[in-house]
Amino acid sequence: MMTTAQPEIRKAKHKFHAFPVLNGLLFALICLIILIPIWKVLVDSFDLTTGYGMKLWPEKFGIAGYISVFTTQSLYTPLVNSFITTIAGTVVGLLLSTLGAYVLIQFDMPGRNFFAGALLFTMIFEGGMIPTYIVMRQLGLVNTLWSVILYPAINVYNLVLMRNFFEGIPTSLFESATLDGCTPMQTFYRIVLPLSKAALASIGLMFAVSYWNDYTNYKLYITKELLYNFQMKLRSIMMGSDLPSANGGMSENTVQNAAVIVAIIPFMILYPCLQKYFVKGINIGAVKE
Amino acid sequence: MRKVLSLILALAMAMTMLTAFATTAVAEVTKPESISIFIDGTVFTTNNARDAFQARWEELTGIKLEITQPDHDAYYDVLQQQIASGDWPDVMILSSTYYSAYAAEGVLWDMTDAWEASDLKASGRFTGDSVVEGLKIDGRLYGFSPTRGNGCVTYVKQAWLDAVGMQAPTNWDEYYAMLQAFTTQNPDGDDKKETFGVAAAGFVGPEAPYVNYLPEFYQDGTPTFDKDENGVWFDGFTQDSMKAALERLNKAYVDGVIDPTTLTNGTKDCRNKYYDDTFGAFTYWAGTWATNLKSNLEANNLSGELVALPPIAEVGAYLDRVPPVWAISSACENPEGVYKYFIDTMLDGGDMQMLWTYGVEDVHWSMKAETVLAGTDKEKTYEDGQFHMKESLEQAGTVYTKHHIDPMLALASFAEGYYDPREDSVKAEAKAASELFNTHSKLAIIVPTTEEMSMYNGDLVTLKNELIAKVTMGDLSYEQAMAKFESDGGAEWSKAIVDSLNALNK
Amino acid sequence: MVSASIPKDIRRSRLKARILKYKGFYLMFLPVLAFAIIFHYLPMLGIRFAFTKYNLIKDPVFVGFKNFERLFSMPNFWSAFANTLNLSIVKLLLNTFMAVIISLLLNEMVNIHAKKLAQTIIYIPHFMSWVVTASVFQMLFSPTTAGLVNQALMKLGVTTQNIYFLGDSKWWTPTYYIINVWRDTGWGTIIFMATLTGIDPGIYEAASIDGCGRWQKMWYITLPSLSNTIITVLILNLAKVMNLFESAFVLQNDAVMNVSQVLQTYVYYQTFNSGTIPDYGFTTAIGLFRSVVGMLLVLACNVASKRVRGRGIV
Repeated sequence: MMTTAQPEIRKAKHKFHAFPVLNGLLFALICLIILIPIWKVLVDSFDLTTGYGMKLWPEKFGIAGYISVFTTQSLYTPLVNSFITTIAGTVVGLLLSTLGAYVLIQFDMPGRNFFAGALLFTMIFEGGMIPTYIVMRQLGLVNTLWSVILYPAINVYNLVLMRNFFEGIPTSLFESATLDGCTPMQTFYRIVLPLSKAALASIGLMFAVSYWNDYTNYKLYITKELLYNFQMKLRSIMMGSDLPSANGGMSENTVQNAAVIVAIIPFMILYPCLQKYFVKGINIGAVKE
Repeated sequence: MRKVLSLILALAMAMTMLTAFATTAVAEVTKPESISIFIDGTVFTTNNARDAFQARWEELTGIKLEITQPDHDAYYDVLQQQIASGDWPDVMILSSTYYSAYAAEGVLWDMTDAWEASDLKASGRFTGDSVVEGLKIDGRLYGFSPTRGNGCVTYVKQAWLDAVGMQAPTNWDEYYAMLQAFTTQNPDGDDKKETFGVAAAGFVGPEAPYVNYLPEFYQDGTPTFDKDENGVWFDGFTQDSMKAALERLNKAYVDGVIDPTTLTNGTKDCRNKYYDDTFGAFTYWAGTWATNLKSNLEANNLSGELVALPPIAEVGAYLDRVPPVWAISSACENPEGVYKYFIDTMLDGGDMQMLWTYGVEDVHWSMKAETVLAGTDKEKTYEDGQFHMKESLEQAGTVYTKHHIDPMLALASFAEGYYDPREDSVKAEAKAASELFNTHSKLAIIVPTTEEMSMYNGDLVTLKNELIAKVTMGDLSYEQAMAKFESDGGAEWSKAIVDSLNALNK
Repeated sequence: MVSASIPKDIRRSRLKARILKYKGFYLMFLPVLAFAIIFHYLPMLGIRFAFTKYNLIKDPVFVGFKNFERLFSMPNFWSAFANTLNLSIVKLLLNTFMAVIISLLLNEMVNIHAKKLAQTIIYIPHFMSWVVTASVFQMLFSPTTAGLVNQALMKLGVTTQNIYFLGDSKWWTPTYYIINVWRDTGWGTIIFMATLTGIDPGIYEAASIDGCGRWQKMWYITLPSLSNTIITVLILNLAKVMNLFESAFVLQNDAVMNVSQVLQTYVYYQTFNSGTIPDYGFTTAIGLFRSVVGMLLVLACNVASKRVRGRGIV
């Protein structure tokens, strides 16, 4: 027995060494493929000449594109607006998603199925552009940042995903909390939220990114340029030069590519900060004690 | 300057009074207290000191403006929301589609009489009678445009012509020979890089007038509906002229003189390839774009010298788009007043026209001694009293070129004695391209809408475009394409639409 | 069934007791409900426009099912409908499948820094708009010397002449999927990666002690714990398959319409070429049709999900 088992173990050991290397190589390849098109944009954003094809390095290096994006006098207010709406929107969005998700895992609650159905229905059926506008107008939300904060905050897709995460919390925890005299609200913020950091981080990220990238709601509900966000601004830089009456400047292409890269930067800063919440293995067992 | 203006105003007023007496007694026009306007991105945005524009406008008229200016892309969505909510603005900018649809639905005030009695018409400076006629719907005018619509001209790289030892072509054979030379004779001096004679965004344009990006190939052929000399509608797609156009496209594709990726090119791809010295003849917007093309080529260390080609003999004339218009809504309480003080003043030949054409003094333009774009390679110093546009507030490093009215497209000149900065503000190449276009263009016709049109034209255009692409690329012969046109229902839809259009004539 | 035998008044008082027991939860659900009602149910009154002719100027005129008749009788409606289902369902399955694979492999990555870097990089494409994505890929896939893909294939000897990937009906669909996988797979892993963090590490330890190898652990522990999320994500996205627009719109061209024309682009061209402003009644009718199809798909899959694993997604 011992002798036959020996090669087995060695084989397993051998695999153990080969796999991480292969896996690492695979990801290196995947990242390379992902980066090729982005490299094209990045190179073009630093290139003062305008070309069509792929270049390995800028032909005439210069940061004029970025200067043009950032010295735009009017960039400050849009950035502030973006931060306000992204933070406020993510908070409201997470609040609604977690509350809704928490209620939806109360499977014994009378009316629970009705509520679930009612929410799902709003994901599939929509009123359309004009009726939504009329409601927004009657609420006095048009041309305020509230319209772009509140309207996307109720997101059933994210709510259902959140519910999915909450379901993984052992019911015994809820029971013992109730026995300890916790109200639903107390259970919610003492047990559910602390145990769902990864869920909050990932869904919070999804909210934040969609708020940051939002322009459809801005286009429809905001006509005051002072309330525009960063994304609207970048779009006008990118689209502006396509108009027949384009003002045009030197190296419009460089500026456009710089704008594309600038749109990615906030995420590149934010994501590594969030990443610690994605670390593996929150030991639920430990919380139980 | 003020004196001259007041003199003109006084004269103009006298003229109006005369015409007023001469015709019937025109009801006295009261001055509105405020005017609500809906404008797109062609008027200065907030970031480009719209406030200064508004203040100046209010100062000139003593009327308050209430401005709504949605994002340029969403202009018509927001306008429709506003119209649906019942809160109609007094004045709005409309594209030709919205103009005719809104006029038909009674959203717009009939300004025919106001136009007939206007100061502008009486001033003798107005040169756009054909534009006004083109904007009339059943003989009535619902909107006004201070400019022509603009269109595309063909730009050819002079350096490439020199490299292959050719002159600018004047007819199809010369044009095609030039394309061939551009493709085979290495005009860019780079042995490795492939070059093409011409490229475009699509073998056929996405919107009316469809053929404006490849006029030399289409010539008198058109894939869409057109009127013959008797006013009878027909579908250009089924005509022999279109067959000839497709043969030209196919030949160019087979010979490799047209960029083979024309099918998938966007306009930006074309521009970048042009700057990249990939092709030599590019049909693009007249006017300001002549300068943009030049400066981008120069940024690439290439010669920026471009020949704006007069239409070759077979083309005859470039196509002028129908311009967007300013219209007054029928909900406006005092449309006569709004017309008189808002629309009629736009081309007053004086301060107001200056405001609409160049913007606000010392904000968008200036006569003071100044160095513009200091510290860049485009730095330029102006002396006191020298007209110049100032650096853009929104996009640093660029200079304003104009405001809402493009000076090259304006339908009226400045009044005599008023300083016209056109000579000093418009770059030579832009001016040359515009003048060439203005003298060699004809107004594109507006095809009216019918029930059949909205039912079938979507499918019909998709089918036609597919066949144009496939014949050009040699996937189908012309005969096969026409057979498919027949079998897929194209012929039937086409006939239904033609019949419905001709029924309108009766 | 059981409750039927219980007298009505007892049932009622039990229900009352249960409602009272959950009163805190109702209170917590109130804001969610309020948002849903204000921003979704109130505007939903506008669905009635689907049965009217309405140009947003004059009052809507009731026309019954005319808009739907018009929609269904449009010559190329059914082929656009079939393309929509085809493209978006394959895309959904492919993207989800790839996202799961990538998540599983990422989960196995030992070097924490490499893992973080890889994660950050694979999310980036999501931040490129479709317009930019399309213009870059049109260049990479172009049949000229600028086309990197064709150049590489020819160097490797796979092909001998340029393939017009985005201009040829045979190649357009696979190319479309590849571009979609490039753009959305990485972002799709977020939710799976978050789910994986919820797995109790104790289970892996126990499995290791029992002699389970890497692949066995992946197959018997990791994948099953993802299954719930996978099914939820699939069904939620099914509700949106009819909304496919932008990715197809920016990548299609005249020569590949037969495979790339989807419902939303079809309607767009219909309106764009009609020479008049869109009829809002008709637009709403199309929206309603898309919703009904989305609902049928979701309901069907929810029923299937209930059959297979005993419950639906919500």
